Amino acid sequence: MGKSVAIIGTGQTRHGRRQDVCYPDLVKEAVEAALEDAGITLKDVDGVVLGTMPSMMEGVSSTHFYFAEAMGSVGKPVLKVETCGSTGQSIGHCGFFWASSGMADIVLVVGSEKMSEGDGQATMNTVFDPFFQRTFAAGAPGVFTMQSMEWMYRFKIPEDKGREAAAMISVSNHDNAMDNPHAHIRTRVTMDDVKNARIITYPVRLLDVCPASDGACAVIFASGDKAKKICKKPAWVKGIGFRGEEFFYGESDKAIWMSATEAAKEAYSQAGIKDPLKELDVAEVYNPFTYQEMIFYECFGFCPRGKAPDYVLKGTFKKGGRLPCGPSGGTLCTNPIGATGLIRMAEAALQVTGKAGARQVEGAKLALSHAMGGVDQFNGVTILGSEQ
Amino acid sequence: MSIEKYKIVEGQVKVTYELALGRTWSHFYDCFKEGKIMGTRCRKCSRVLVPPRSFCPRCFEDMDEWVEVSDEGIIETWVYVNMPFFAQETKIPFISAQIRLDGCDSGFTHIVGGVDMSDLDKVRAAVKLGGRVKAVWSREKKGSIRDIEYFEPVK
Amino acid sequence: MRKVAITHVAQSSGAESRESLMDFTYKVNKEILDKAGLKREEVGCIIAGSADIFHSGLSCANAYDWDGIGAFMKEGSRAEESVFSFIYGCMRIMSGRYDTVLVTAIVKGSENPDNDPITCFYGDPFYLRPLGINESSVAAMQMRQYMNRYGVTEEQCAKVAVKNLGNALFNPYAHVKKRVGLEDVMRSRRLYDPLKEMECAPKSDGVVAVLIASEEKAKELTATPAWLKGYGCSMDYFNPGDRDLLNGQLKAAAARAYKMAGIRNPEKNIDVAEICEPYAFQELIWCEQLGFCNEGQGGELIDSGITEMDGSLPVNPSGGVLATNPYPARGLYRVAEAALQIKGQAGEHQVGKKVKTALAHSTHGFGGQCHSVVILSA
Repeated sequence: MGKSVAIIGTGQTRHGRRQDVCYPDLVKEAVEAALEDAGITLKDVDGVVLGTMPSMMEGVSSTHFYFAEAMGSVGKPVLKVETCGSTGQSIGHCGFFWASSGMADIVLVVGSEKMSEGDGQATMNTVFDPFFQRTFAAGAPGVFTMQSMEWMYRFKIPEDKGREAAAMISVSNHDNAMDNPHAHIRTRVTMDDVKNARIITYPVRLLDVCPASDGACAVIFASGDKAKKICKKPAWVKGIGFRGEEFFYGESDKAIWMSATEAAKEAYSQAGIKDPLKELDVAEVYNPFTYQEMIFYECFGFCPRGKAPDYVLKGTFKKGGRLPCGPSGGTLCTNPIGATGLIRMAEAALQVTGKAGARQVEGAKLALSHAMGGVDQFNGVTILGSEQ
Repeated sequence: MSIEKYKIVEGQVKVTYELALGRTWSHFYDCFKEGKIMGTRCRKCSRVLVPPRSFCPRCFEDMDEWVEVSDEGIIETWVYVNMPFFAQETKIPFISAQIRLDGCDSGFTHIVGGVDMSDLDKVRAAVKLGGRVKAVWSREKKGSIRDIEYFEPVK
Repeated sequence: MRKVAITHVAQSSGAESRESLMDFTYKVNKEILDKAGLKREEVGCIIAGSADIFHSGLSCANAYDWDGIGAFMKEGSRAEESVFSFIYGCMRIMSGRYDTVLVTAIVKGSENPDNDPITCFYGDPFYLRPLGINESSVAAMQMRQYMNRYGVTEEQCAKVAVKNLGNALFNPYAHVKKRVGLEDVMRSRRLYDPLKEMECAPKSDGVVAVLIASEEKAKELTATPAWLKGYGCSMDYFNPGDRDLLNGQLKAAAARAYKMAGIRNPEKNIDVAEICEPYAFQELIWCEQLGFCNEGQGGELIDSGITEMDGSLPVNPSGGVLATNPYPARGLYRVAEAALQIKGQAGEHQVGKKVKTALAHSTHGFGGQCHSVVILSA
């Protein structure tokens, strides 16, 4: 086997509408924060990985050129890895493999997006093929809503029960975001606020949906020996999994969602996890949509198929519950897409190293982080732990 | 140095592509223009896929057996779209749906029409998961996805 | 570090294909799996190399790539530049987690806008882009500086196009197949003076796949593995005005690759090189910076005939990027061609001498903002 790998530092920008900075400066903010957190300088970095959403998002192509100075990569080897919404997890995985391969000791991984500068949903629509599906696609909300409807129908989840559980997820994520100084949306909402919010794509309402954020995240990976030398409390990479289904939406069963299920299974088997609900202490699930978050719970084995609403209503995934999900406020309150999956990983690292501040889950030792991409096509999962 | 107001530059990008449909999809649209929906069948897993494929993504084998599927099927799922965005090709509000055509093993993306869109409750009464729908073909067909205007609930 | 080798190569022609991008991708991947006698399920993981919207009209190109590269429900990823995909695939094997990785680079230039309007979008929206700066205009400025600083002549630069297009006649996969003389190149349109039309790479279609494997697996799969010996990459400053265009990051990238491969005298140790030269004169500068000759001696290098197909250090026997330019895939084409030379499977463009060590190079960005160097050996 290759070298073990740990995360030795993380950094995030203040996420939100950031018209006070140009795009490279936003990236630099996250990189500087991560270097400071790890207590290293750019001189110590052997390689840099960048990932963002496609160029159409901000209208600049191949941003690893544009960000060369901002991400500290001048004179260094770089890799640019992208897999749509799952980019954040994929670049983290790349950082892992680079350090594990022995080709580098310290790898800086950067994810970013400046969504206020373009049209996110118009961009998402160009993920669909131009010949068949693009004409009738309605960006991410259209697809995620269709998937949620199919899931509720399949498992005979009554509409008001689904509605109640989804609203509860929105309320608890918004509550959690109040504890996170980086979060974009920091306002408390009530169950009624969610249920009466403007319809986006029925039955999904405004407060069931993530915002479009500007933000960047940087995570520093180190080979095991190096990590032990320079970091008191690294977050160890215990398991990673990534799977993708067919391109055309409609070909795979999205109520069961095998890419999400199998990516988690792969990561669990590497991490030696048999009963995730029992063994995991915290999860950062990629949740741009409340309804969809429940499908992930089922795919990840947090509860049986079709039972997620029951578990949500019992408070299983709330702060203080059996398996707190999204103590950061999640994607629902902050979504700079290219950074989002990496933010999940950074938040999981903060949790298992006890550095999550007001959003800390007491005594967290094992955490799941996740991101999803494409038209419900890709899922990436990373398990981090406090022990090697 | 103090900045009174941060500056924003507005810009639009327009680039033109010429995207090739290739053999399989060209044939699909030739038939579509004649009012037929064609899929291909995988000889190994025997699934019939629409849009047709020249190869099966799962078995990674050529798929060259053509099969005509019905223009009627079941709604697997649907979404009421009332969200505008740049370069949207279909006017809102509209209903996007996955339709499992009879004789086909994948969902076909299209729109559901012929229902009263003025009120969401009326839409919900008319469009049901598992409900049957049938294609309403355009009078003038051009060999594009719009040759079917929409799918309409079967009463 | 685990050893990694390229076991098989498959590629499409660079000429315009009428296939859809998806079918075009599938054919090459099917071919390489058949060659290796592997089923898609037996491959450890799959890495795509493709660029998004500007190079495909599709955002998140990995989504569309996925079926054609055989990645359904497999572990995989995608990197934007194809040599990035290659080295990422190698890292996955070095990590000990996989024994085989399929790396595929994909683009259909025939469907896309021209190279210049696309590379224009590398520019930032505030300074460079409004000025109409693109890869070709920066290259022309670089060429003028090069000729001015070292006295290299326009004719010497044009000779690169004559040599490479001549080599392309022997490569069945090459896109531009045209015998040209020095006069033809010199008289071709001055699109970005001093750069002339025939000195600029075309816009090609291209799918190229390489199968890489761990030591044990490679020996099982092929009698002629091409081993990865060295890799180096380096990134330069963004703004062309912030750098010396004649002294970029290629030296740094090469130094890393040579160190890893234990190469002290590249001119002697390397038997053949596949270099990314979207602009003819760049082959000369890159050869200097790779240590094939001294600084400023690129003109004499081409005059000497050393880099001809039958020379002591053939450069671009495949015809290079000047003959075939599937932009994001062109780097992996260089790696694939270097591997074919080592395997002795380059066919009519197999170089005369015995190839033990081959170099593949890739660059992209204004004036070569980023360079990667790969060393393969028998």
